Amino acid sequence: MKIKYDTKKRLVEQIFLLEILKGLKLTLKRLFSKPVTVQYPKEKKPLFPGFRGRHALIRDPKTKAAKCVACMRCATVCPSRCIRIRFSKDDETGARKLESYEIDALRCIFCGYCEEVCPVNAVVLTEEYEYSDYTRDPFHFDMERLLKNWDDFLEKKKMEPEKYLNPYLRPRGLPVGELPVGKRVEVPEEWTMEGQVIWKDGKAVSAKEADC
Amino acid sequence: MELLWILIKIIIVFTVVMIHVMYATYFERKVIGHMQVRMGPMRVGWHGVLQPIADGIKAFFKEDIIPTAADKKVFYAAPLICLISALSAVAVIPFFETFAIANINIGLLYIFAMSSLASYGVVLAGWSSNSKYSFLGGLRSSAQVISYEIAMGLSLVGVMMLAGSLNLSDIVHAQMQSSYKIYLIPQIIGFFVFVVAMFAETNRTPFDLPEAESELVAGYCTEYSGMRFALFFMAEYIGMIVMSCLAVICFLGGWSGPFEVPGIPFFWFILKAYFFIFLYYWVRATLPRYRYDQLMALGWKVLIPLALFNILLTGTIKSLIG
Repeated sequence: MKIKYDTKKRLVEQIFLLEILKGLKLTLKRLFSKPVTVQYPKEKKPLFPGFRGRHALIRDPKTKAAKCVACMRCATVCPSRCIRIRFSKDDETGARKLESYEIDALRCIFCGYCEEVCPVNAVVLTEEYEYSDYTRDPFHFDMERLLKNWDDFLEKKKMEPEKYLNPYLRPRGLPVGELPVGKRVEVPEEWTMEGQVIWKDGKAVSAKEADC
Repeated sequence: MELLWILIKIIIVFTVVMIHVMYATYFERKVIGHMQVRMGPMRVGWHGVLQPIADGIKAFFKEDIIPTAADKKVFYAAPLICLISALSAVAVIPFFETFAIANINIGLLYIFAMSSLASYGVVLAGWSSNSKYSFLGGLRSSAQVISYEIAMGLSLVGVMMLAGSLNLSDIVHAQMQSSYKIYLIPQIIGFFVFVVAMFAETNRTPFDLPEAESELVAGYCTEYSGMRFALFFMAEYIGMIVMSCLAVICFLGGWSGPFEVPGIPFFWFILKAYFFIFLYYWVRATLPRYRYDQLMALGWKVLIPLALFNILLTGTIKSLIG
């Protein structure tokens, strides 16, 4: 392809440096615009629900312990294999009893699969993200630490534990019937099936239709 | 008594220039920050006004690293050459009617000489550091300064012809008596060449090849640290201030203005000089760096012929009119 130059225009442009003047005009205009800077430790950007921060085990308001039933789904789905669960079996009933629950936050990639897959909404990624430290130890969360993370988070948010919701606790676009019982939580209007568009049988349909 | 008065003048000018250097760095960061829709320094003091002091303290207490392979004597001398030559150029600048440390008859030539000498500091720093980046920076600087020195000198020949003097005060007086009051209008070509050469002479963007940080780490001052680096930094900013003052004196009528501001004889001078310093920041926030061959082409193929043409034009018109 041959490039066509407007020689007359180019000459004028070159003599009077029009392009440079345009650039100078732009920078001068920007000088009087409001900076977009967020002065981080003083100002913070608002977090959206579903932000994936520090891990926590939700403390059951009734039993004051973790809700985890040791189903191992989170440990199975975890791409970086950073969750370690140990449990024992009750010989009579066959019920699993959680012995330990550990998350290595340094290996975690914060994908949120664990909280999405958890059938009882036991594990969540909270909106806490300022937890840097000088050593590795504080990032190896055991069960006690994970429950404490939850308490700290609630205290910081000043929120009732029952009020806490994030989109992972009830994945959007899935019919209620397909969700485990623990995940059928109350969600705001805009998170429900109405208006949700999902992909079914090769075409996009509203989730409500798909449920029928 | 005379000597004491000169000494007092030197102290006043030195202090004022140093304060200006300090706050030139601050305002550069602020102006460029806002032009890039950022804020610039905000932490030290109210809107970061104490930032230059913090920077100074930091530079002063930093470790002074000298490369083992460096040529020590030259390495020590280079920043001083830069700073001293930059500072001595300030001596001849008339800030207002009766105020110049040395009102000498070859003021303009003296400033040229000093700004060329400052480039010696840069070249020697690049040479003595024994590092490829410094060396390349020094080489680029020498080539650039030689090329643009010519253009700059020639661009001011027109002013010299009109004023008939090299004395900076006389140039200002000649401008006041001329029909346009400033030489900007009759010497517009010279002014253009001077402004471009001014950027190149002080190694500022878009001609900051000697210290091109994206290519040469920091160019000639790569191996310098702490206070020695700060000396180079100061020299650069003093160079900017001197060049701004020179532009004001030669083209914008120095301390003269549309009306007298009572009590502040240097009001107009400072205002105009601030405009040029702002121009430095403004251009830095706008333009990317020239490529090396573009820089040389601009200097030799555009600016020098333009300046020569300007001399021819000025000479012709002057001989025809009077």
